[in-house]
Amino acid sequence: MSEKFSPALRIGDLNDFIAPSQACIVSLKGLKTNATKPDKPEVSIASKQVQSEPVKISLKDCLACSGCVTSAETVMLEKQSLDEFLSNINKRKAVIVSLSPQSRASLSVHFGISPLQVFKKLTGFFKSLGVKAVFDTSCSRDLTLVESCNEFIRRYKENQSIDNERSKSSFPMIASACPGWICYAEKQLGSFVLPYISKVKSPQQTIGAVIKHHLYQDMGLRPEEIYHVTVMPCYDKKLEAARDDFVFQLESHGEGQNEASSISEVDSVLTTGEVLELIQLKQVEFKNLEEFPLDRLMTNISEEGYLYGVRGSSGGYAETIFRHVAKTLFGRQIDGPLNFRNIRNSDFQEITLEVEGKTVLKFALCYGFRNLQNVVRKLKVGKCDYHFLEIMACPSGCLNGGGQIKPKPGQSLKDLSQLLETVYMENVLVTEPFENPIVKNLYDKWLEQPGSEKARGHLHTEYHPVEKSITSLLHNW
Amino acid sequence: MESFEGNIELREIQRLEGHTDRVWSLAWNPATGHAGIPLSFASCSGDKTVRIWEQNLTSGLWNCKAVLEETHTRTVRSCAWSPSGKLLATASFDATTAIWENVGGDFDCVSTLEGHENEVKGVSWNASGSLLATCGRDKSVWIWEVQPGNEFECVSVLQGHTQDVKMVQWHPTVDILFSCSYDNNVKVWADEGDSDDWQCVQTLGEPNNGHTSTVWALSFNARGDKMVTCSDDLTLKVWETDNTVMQSGDGFAPWRHVCSLSGYHDRTIFSVHWSREGIIASGAADDAIRLFVESNENSADGSRYKLLLKKEKAHDMDVNSVQWSPGEKRLLASASDDGTIKVWELVSPSQC
Repeated sequence: MSEKFSPALRIGDLNDFIAPSQACIVSLKGLKTNATKPDKPEVSIASKQVQSEPVKISLKDCLACSGCVTSAETVMLEKQSLDEFLSNINKRKAVIVSLSPQSRASLSVHFGISPLQVFKKLTGFFKSLGVKAVFDTSCSRDLTLVESCNEFIRRYKENQSIDNERSKSSFPMIASACPGWICYAEKQLGSFVLPYISKVKSPQQTIGAVIKHHLYQDMGLRPEEIYHVTVMPCYDKKLEAARDDFVFQLESHGEGQNEASSISEVDSVLTTGEVLELIQLKQVEFKNLEEFPLDRLMTNISEEGYLYGVRGSSGGYAETIFRHVAKTLFGRQIDGPLNFRNIRNSDFQEITLEVEGKTVLKFALCYGFRNLQNVVRKLKVGKCDYHFLEIMACPSGCLNGGGQIKPKPGQSLKDLSQLLETVYMENVLVTEPFENPIVKNLYDKWLEQPGSEKARGHLHTEYHPVEKSITSLLHNW
Repeated sequence: MESFEGNIELREIQRLEGHTDRVWSLAWNPATGHAGIPLSFASCSGDKTVRIWEQNLTSGLWNCKAVLEETHTRTVRSCAWSPSGKLLATASFDATTAIWENVGGDFDCVSTLEGHENEVKGVSWNASGSLLATCGRDKSVWIWEVQPGNEFECVSVLQGHTQDVKMVQWHPTVDILFSCSYDNNVKVWADEGDSDDWQCVQTLGEPNNGHTSTVWALSFNARGDKMVTCSDDLTLKVWETDNTVMQSGDGFAPWRHVCSLSGYHDRTIFSVHWSREGIIASGAADDAIRLFVESNENSADGSRYKLLLKKEKAHDMDVNSVQWSPGEKRLLASASDDGTIKVWELVSPSQC
């Protein structure tokens, strides 16, 4: 990363997995322009110095450009999410914050208090700033998981039927929750890989859809009044929130004029690190804050006051689907944690289900760029025999996302990772997503059933290959 | 080491034509030039092809034995033979690295390594042939492990450089990787400790007497305890390390700057290669080839190296690559923007 970036960004030491590329269509102030020098000197004609305004780059520019894979870190300069967050509170918008369990764990380790305490104190903190409600994305994740299980079974049946062109791309089904992976797949890998990626939205976008399509009614709000912020372990989530696929038009029926206004499922994303920055900015002693009651509307908290959810600190996609499918398709009830085997390293793990000596299910967790490369390679040459891949761009998965709080001085990344893994499931009762009363209620009142037309309309999405820009192909040295 | 006093001459043996665009790089097949196996090397070019050249044992002249084409769709920037000489890896601007197998003189493309975002610039095999490294314009360095059946698995993607990485080179005996870049740095990578991944263990840059502009290439001496780097800053720099520590495997032995050879070049130095007997050859943008040797006298720039000879107008255009041959004779091959390759022999006039 260039030393010319702001100190805040440098401290970030953003490890979202690939740095901005030189073929970025927008040259940023502070970046070395013409970053790749021609290997050969070229004759150039001295041109007049053109005074130009610093270029503003939006997240949408990044999504459209094939110049680099992920560049949310660069865009941070312009986007200044914290300021935007505070100004929206001041604009008297109904601000709703959705907190990810990975962020909760990171703050818990940082402050040395339990994740449940973090959640309660953070709820109080946000409310003191004027936030209307604080929700939990492990709740929307259960909805994502239910839809994903349903999609897997649909693909499985599709795969069984012969003479079906689509069945060729049924497997492996690939988890869609990692925005770094999605960007990479769309920009670098292109159309061959996209059919494999699960159509189900990530927990972040799912909670956005739930709030802005449905829950607003229960809260006595209008969708356009709501400013929805998520707190995520990852900078790339900002790019995800900015996708056109996650913006919808709202017809307003006022005064005979039909003005359509654009509503984003998620208006802004703060990383865990940025929330810590906010806490420091407000000069509060976080540990001494009062523990506020949680907003139960969209939060996995039981009557008895326990957090609940699935295992798996990167969302538990492989684990949950494996367990569900083993039971529903093969009649195998698996209790306790699944037994994943390390394949190459701890970031590449595998689990299989055997029925009558035959491997009927083969799932893998695949974290970090190098492992991702190897499965993509196998997929490309047709030697990938997995049914499901939980691909995450970051090594160690989401707990180690680029937006998490950095290790303390003297603390190794490895030690921190282990601490986070332990803390992540602290106070959490392991519960099947299908048993989640909030999820059940959403299907009953709104979505009908998993995979229904309504569910697909609101909770599923599409992926689009990004064409290589001409500029990115023109360099010839 | 034999002293190279008195008159010595770099004599042109043959000028090889065939490429239709600039020749970027060349690589001698290490398994040739002894036991009656004729010397052979590969060259790669902007014409998207790789050519295999072989010496005729009777005439001593060089012929093009094979043209590897219709695989890369853009410039082939560099090539490298596996230590056994069985496999040739070629790195291309088309973002891929191709692996070719030599089957009785025929070359089949047996694998294509994808992953770099765009132009691949460098490729290198480790001493045992079990690992392959690639680097490129996307600033990354990749390490691949060779699996049975010509399968390659990515073991690491290293992101330390801040600009275009021009070249990667494995140490001749130990599994330590070196990369040099447009960011002016040489980085040293090793697989250390319990992290199960490769890491940058040293950066040789301006603060430690490193280069002040693009580092284009590097090469090791025969013992592997010295390294020479060449740069757009018009200098060659010699580095050394503690050989005992390095060979013992007890942790990483850091490299330190020994001296800089400045004042000899006035255009970019694109290539440098250290011969087994200690002669450093450089190829530069001034179309010349220069040879340097270590000397006991202190030369003008205070370094312990002196210019042995300078071959002006070695080519009609930039010299992109210079490589010493294996085998007994002191043969040097050079590749140029003029589209030709030349094979030279270093001779004393007495041998004329």
